[in-house]
Amino acid sequence: MNSAWYLQMGFAAVLLFVGIYCLLTMRNLIKLFIGIEIISKAITLALITSGLLRNNMTLAQALTITFIVVEVSMVAVALAIIINVYRHTGSLDVRQLTKLKG
Amino acid sequence: MVLQIFLLCGLTIFSVLAILLRDLLKAAISLALASIFLAMVFFRLNAPYAGVFEISVVAGLITVLFITTIALTKSPSDVRESKLLLIIFPLFFAVFIVIDLIIMKNLLNAVQPNLPGAPGPAGTFGQVYWNERTFDLVAQIGVIFAGVFSVLALFRTKDKHE
Amino acid sequence: MIFPFIAVPLILASVMPLIGRFSKRFLPDALTNLAFLFLLVYSLITMRQLSATGPAIHQLLFLKQVLNINMVIDGFSAFMLFTISLVTLCAGLFSINYMEHYGAKANYYALLLIMVAGMNGLVLANDLFQVYLFLEVAAVASYGLVAFGLGLDELEASYKYLMLSAVSSGFILISIAVIFSLTGSLNFGQVAAGLQALNMKYAVGLCAGFFILGFGLKSALVPFHAWLPDAHPSAPAPISAMLSGLLIKVSGVYALARIFFNVFGLNPALSQVLMYAGVISLVVGAVIALGQNDIKRMLAYSSISQVGYIILGIGLGTPLGILGGLFHLFNHAIAKGLLFLNSGSIQNATGTRSLDQMGGLAKRMPLTAATTLIGSLSIAGVPPLAGFWSKLIIIIALFQARQYGFALIAVLTSIVTLWYYLLIQRAAFFGKLNETWKNIKEAPFWMSASTVILGLICIAVGIFFGVVIRSWIQPAADALSAGVIYGFKMMGF
Repeated sequence: MNSAWYLQMGFAAVLLFVGIYCLLTMRNLIKLFIGIEIISKAITLALITSGLLRNNMTLAQALTITFIVVEVSMVAVALAIIINVYRHTGSLDVRQLTKLKG
Repeated sequence: MVLQIFLLCGLTIFSVLAILLRDLLKAAISLALASIFLAMVFFRLNAPYAGVFEISVVAGLITVLFITTIALTKSPSDVRESKLLLIIFPLFFAVFIVIDLIIMKNLLNAVQPNLPGAPGPAGTFGQVYWNERTFDLVAQIGVIFAGVFSVLALFRTKDKHE
Repeated sequence: MIFPFIAVPLILASVMPLIGRFSKRFLPDALTNLAFLFLLVYSLITMRQLSATGPAIHQLLFLKQVLNINMVIDGFSAFMLFTISLVTLCAGLFSINYMEHYGAKANYYALLLIMVAGMNGLVLANDLFQVYLFLEVAAVASYGLVAFGLGLDELEASYKYLMLSAVSSGFILISIAVIFSLTGSLNFGQVAAGLQALNMKYAVGLCAGFFILGFGLKSALVPFHAWLPDAHPSAPAPISAMLSGLLIKVSGVYALARIFFNVFGLNPALSQVLMYAGVISLVVGAVIALGQNDIKRMLAYSSISQVGYIILGIGLGTPLGILGGLFHLFNHAIAKGLLFLNSGSIQNATGTRSLDQMGGLAKRMPLTAATTLIGSLSIAGVPPLAGFWSKLIIIIALFQARQYGFALIAVLTSIVTLWYYLLIQRAAFFGKLNETWKNIKEAPFWMSASTVILGLICIAVGIFFGVVIRSWIQPAADALSAGVIYGFKMMGF
């Protein structure tokens, strides 16, 4: 299995692409956040693959677990914001949030 | 090897389904299934702790949070996604996979890189996690507090004197 | 003994809900500001200690057992710690009065303390992954703080900020994963050694590119600046001051500089990329700021422009350039913090942020007008205030490196900067008093006090700039221009 590291990295790149595509094209607030979840999967796959390459699975697992904890925190805050937006506008369309022009 | 490729393809297909499906509930469940495939990949790569954490937290806790949010934000009218962008997605996807495969094939021909640097692991998983990465635990506590307080701030009820 | 920098804010934040139950306003105010004062004094002590012993790694000992918590402190970290504590103290004092009508002060102070703990941890980290982790701590706290007012504007700004920040954190972490697979370690020294011994230029270039993407988004370099003009105006005024004055610099510029100077090593291609990014941010930020009507939005675009200045100075790579860049980082943190706090005073008194509706406020709010004038002139680069010296050093460094084009653009943009800041002064403070504001009062005590402190610091640093540069900015610049560092000497206690 050691020689198949490029396979994992390739799929991580594909997942990254899928996640970024979702962020660029979707309009539902929750769907946009699913895009970020997919990017997180790509990141965890990349972290474990790097552990495979260096033959240091213990350190790679520690990093992955820490990252998953951070991700949970971020998901909680993001979903709280989404619920609050829904309470204000009654819809989940990101095109409703165009008051600020950036 | 074949099993590995099957698991990785399953992961990708369910992730793609998560964004293509119209119904949010089905998209969340598709995301959870993708997590399960990812956890199986981790188990085969000899990373059991990461696999367990992935299943229990990402496929469990985060999916529950998603479904709670979806239940709390049911709106009478669906958000219309752009049909055109959903249809041209397979085109972009195929192009990207072709480029990816070409790059991967070139890397396949390269010998496994003889990477210099620090030596391998220095103990069991528990030892590494508690002894070597102790500072990370402080940061994790900080992140959890930050998340908890942010959610409390976002869901607070306004006091009377405002 | 530098662990209290992270431990004190975290522990205080964890007991803050309990304190909030007993006393809604007085105890959280007092305890938090005392904690900030303690951090400021402690950072001064640390800087004094540092000049005695030199850079070192501090290892924490708990009950005679070595806990593997290694924190590195050198000139750059100490300088950032001092800047962070100074601006945080003033923002904390300002919040005593300003956050009255937001409510939930205990919750707010808890989030503020966690953000400070995250920033302190970032500058003290010795390890790539810890840099990422503390960055996330500060970022998650800031998502909650930007959305604190719970209005639709704030929620929209916070959501967009969250999305872009999560993507940038993702890119940073992917780059860290690739570096881990290339060198087998995450420690700064070991990674530096590993990268020197390696020969895979494409992989390292990819990592550097992802880092610039990620950290550039955090520090709002053009073209990744889209989140800043929405997030910073919508946040409560002290949080705008913290975000604009500290967070984009700590999680953006500091991390970028630390990783590119001490780990990768600055080569000419990287230097060119940074300088171009800096100069484009400089110009775009200044030009768009001219057309703004909302005072906080104008200040936000000015932040983008000045961060471009800082990156231009640091990207130049020469010791003088780095010195100018770091000095400007300090000056901008103080002055932009001051300006955002004052915009909060104006918003508190008049209820509006629109420059059209204000007018002649100087007659009713003389202290606010005076401190805003000091802050504006400092950033615009008018002698003898602090900003003039830092901009002068950057321009001289550009001349010395024969980058005449960049120097010319920097000088011209300074003039544009002066122009739009004088616009703010004229529209908001001078001129005829608008009838609607006949009865407003000057800002309450703590709000005025904190802005006066920052204003006095602007003047003092401007007059005594020689002493300031020699005592704490030069060590910071030396730490950066020392190049790739392979390790510090260990100090346990």
